[in-house]
Amino acid sequence: MDFIASARDVRFSYSDSDRYAVDGASLFIEEGSYVALLGANGSGKSTMAKLLDVIEVQDEGEIKVFGIDTKDDARFWDIRCNVGCVFQNPDNQIVGTTVEEDVAFGPENIGVKNPELAERVYKALRYVGLYDRKESQTAYLSGGQKQKLAIAGVLAMKPKLLILDEATAMLDPVSRDEFLSLAERLVREKKISILTITHDMTEASRTDKVLIMDKGKITMEGDPREILNDVPKMLEAGLDSPIYSKLLWELKNVTGVDYPVDSARSITSSLRYLSTRFTGVRINMPKEKHPQKETLISIRDLSYRYEDKGPYAIKDINLDIKKGELLALVGRSGCGKTTLITHLNGIIRSEGKGKIEYRFGNETYTTSSKRDIKKIRQKVGLVFQYPEYQLFEDTVYKDVAYGPKKMGLKGDELDKAVREAVKIVGLDESVLEQSPFELSGGQQRRVAMAGVIAMKPEVLVLDEPAAGLDPKGRREMFKTINDLKESGTTIVLVTHYMDEAYEHADRICTMKDGMIMEVSEPCRMFEDKEELRRMEIRSPYLRRFLEILSIRLGLDPVSRKNLLKAQSVRQAALMIGGADA
Amino acid sequence: MLKDISIGRFYRGDSVIHKLDPRFKTILFVLFMVAVFMLENPYAIGCLIVFSIVLQIMAKIPPKVMWNTVKPILPIVILIFVLNALTIRDGKEIFSWRRILITDTGLKSATLMSLRLLMMIFITSIILTLTTTPLKLSEALEKLFGPLKLIKFPVHEMAMMMSIALRFIPTLIDETDKIMKAQVSRGADYDTGTVLKRLKGYVTVLVPLFVSSFRRADELSTAMDARCYNGGEGRTKLHPLHITLRDIIVFIILSLCAVALVVIEKAL
Repeated sequence: MDFIASARDVRFSYSDSDRYAVDGASLFIEEGSYVALLGANGSGKSTMAKLLDVIEVQDEGEIKVFGIDTKDDARFWDIRCNVGCVFQNPDNQIVGTTVEEDVAFGPENIGVKNPELAERVYKALRYVGLYDRKESQTAYLSGGQKQKLAIAGVLAMKPKLLILDEATAMLDPVSRDEFLSLAERLVREKKISILTITHDMTEASRTDKVLIMDKGKITMEGDPREILNDVPKMLEAGLDSPIYSKLLWELKNVTGVDYPVDSARSITSSLRYLSTRFTGVRINMPKEKHPQKETLISIRDLSYRYEDKGPYAIKDINLDIKKGELLALVGRSGCGKTTLITHLNGIIRSEGKGKIEYRFGNETYTTSSKRDIKKIRQKVGLVFQYPEYQLFEDTVYKDVAYGPKKMGLKGDELDKAVREAVKIVGLDESVLEQSPFELSGGQQRRVAMAGVIAMKPEVLVLDEPAAGLDPKGRREMFKTINDLKESGTTIVLVTHYMDEAYEHADRICTMKDGMIMEVSEPCRMFEDKEELRRMEIRSPYLRRFLEILSIRLGLDPVSRKNLLKAQSVRQAALMIGGADA
Repeated sequence: MLKDISIGRFYRGDSVIHKLDPRFKTILFVLFMVAVFMLENPYAIGCLIVFSIVLQIMAKIPPKVMWNTVKPILPIVILIFVLNALTIRDGKEIFSWRRILITDTGLKSATLMSLRLLMMIFITSIILTLTTTPLKLSEALEKLFGPLKLIKFPVHEMAMMMSIALRFIPTLIDETDKIMKAQVSRGADYDTGTVLKRLKGYVTVLVPLFVSSFRRADELSTAMDARCYNGGEGRTKLHPLHITLRDIIVFIILSLCAVALVVIEKAL
């Protein structure tokens, strides 16, 4: 038996749905391999994971895990005990109040006795690096620590197969890297097979095999180097490709010259190909953007702490937000980004001398004046992370109308505002009379955004607006954001995805430990490697690739500098390919 | 906004009270609750207050944490005080204005009732919630009520439900805070307006909170399934409860204190 898990022609539908969530899927996972399962939201990936762990049982088809049929009632516990799962939301999988209690939960369930029990728990905690915190309370761990705790809880069960269901989706880039290295160590050192469900193409490219799921079926499978690099197919499936293959594809679109399939397989092969074609090209100066000058919001000496004498959540913040720009706010989880944006519409107000001044039209407003707050809240729209969790009305229309109504809009004016907002976020008017709770997660997010946009804010603050969406959803979200920006809305964007900040922002502001480290244009931000390390910021993948590429192409200093101004793959392709022609 | 509330939150420590076997703690809790309700004599109540403070020092709980625990129920304490003071009309008149009449019996009873409630929360938090992790507490209850299994009472399930509820209190408080901030930024106002208007306003918080609780419950049960949870049968424990000599001594001393309070009450 080579396969640790296999599924043949599996179909399954949830009892409350008439649609097959998994609809004729077949998959095979080799022992000791690291497999990625990709697919759009709602394609059935998580359901597949539940079937493999016998949390649900398929309606049709056959699933065997460790050679045991999942329909074998007498032995399904043998499967469940040997399959470990880590889910997306760290909070909703922790049972214990303290770290060690939580890790012990699994082995206690299967009746492991002391001293083996204690040994398993502490060994697992040491392995993930949480031993020192064994008595800490789980509720106060950071997101990254919670996910490591979840892994420890699984390790203590000594699993043979580990399923990661979007386990890194809620983590910042540094925590994500740490988590992935940990997963890779498990495959290498402990010979645990891993099935990872993810939207992160970089993560997928690090695996041995990729499975792509679409509408309940496995539509493609094979070597990640072949599957992921087929750009048109990936885009069609609502997914994404690594930077290097996207660059080759865009170059083909620009120059009309096709590239050999092999060259898109890896960074090395793409560099080799690019250097045969484009060595020594001269790259002209890209068109300069005109920086925005007019200041809309100016933040001065802002500090805040949640408890008296507690640590500062943000400290001595000085920042100008310019009219019409897209400002990206980046930094590790817990660095104060959310605290800062919560100040922007006066939900929390600073102590002491700190103040925020707004210039709307010819008027100046400040959050220190109670009278101005209402105006500020209308002019500065705030969309928090996972805004779909704040919907409450029984129809989409009423939910979107809630904000503008509170602002005093009535009748036709209100109706117009609601309909316009729904259109801006890309929803059809037919959803207006539906209950928001019947919509898909992605649509709910758009409804929640429409609820803020309907208030016609001049500034829109978005906290991780694309979190948890599949690559296609992310692209659509950024299209909406760019449309809003085009129509004159100033955008403040909080994100963990450096490549998105790099591509869309006019300026990037980095934060660490509650303080602003640097504010500059994207292409300037990532020049100094030492500085980046100090700020705990990762360079965007595009930038890293272009840096290597510029060396391989032997670019002259001016061309190199120009190439590194490219903020998107498309721009880079235009620069390189344009120079070629 | 809500982050300061610490009802139901565990405060980590290594005091005698923290280490005391949770079964003893549960029994002590019952004893003290009985005592609190029996006491009426001001001297006895004075002793109880002194005793609670000694207990707090023994448990090494900083006054600030204690204050945050008591703070959220202060409105209820005040309400009980006012209701008692206004409704009890016998006894000597102290103050009267139109239909409002405040008597000495009324004041006495008001003070007594509100003090009782306050002491109840105070002692419960020190003996139980602040010093005992929810899992330990549920383990103790499971053991203490173990015999009920004979009459098919789902002891383990109840204990598990309780410990999960307690484990999720901080998570739900954070969530409520987030939702409120989001709705405030959409123009919601929870601080002004009539009582009815304010209560109606809370719909915008409660609906999302319920929806998300169901989602959490769903995900948590999947996670528990995945970790092979299958009820109490055959479960082992990382730190099984075992009673030490020190536990017995502390238990005896503290229960004698409870008895002493009742004796003081009866004697005076």
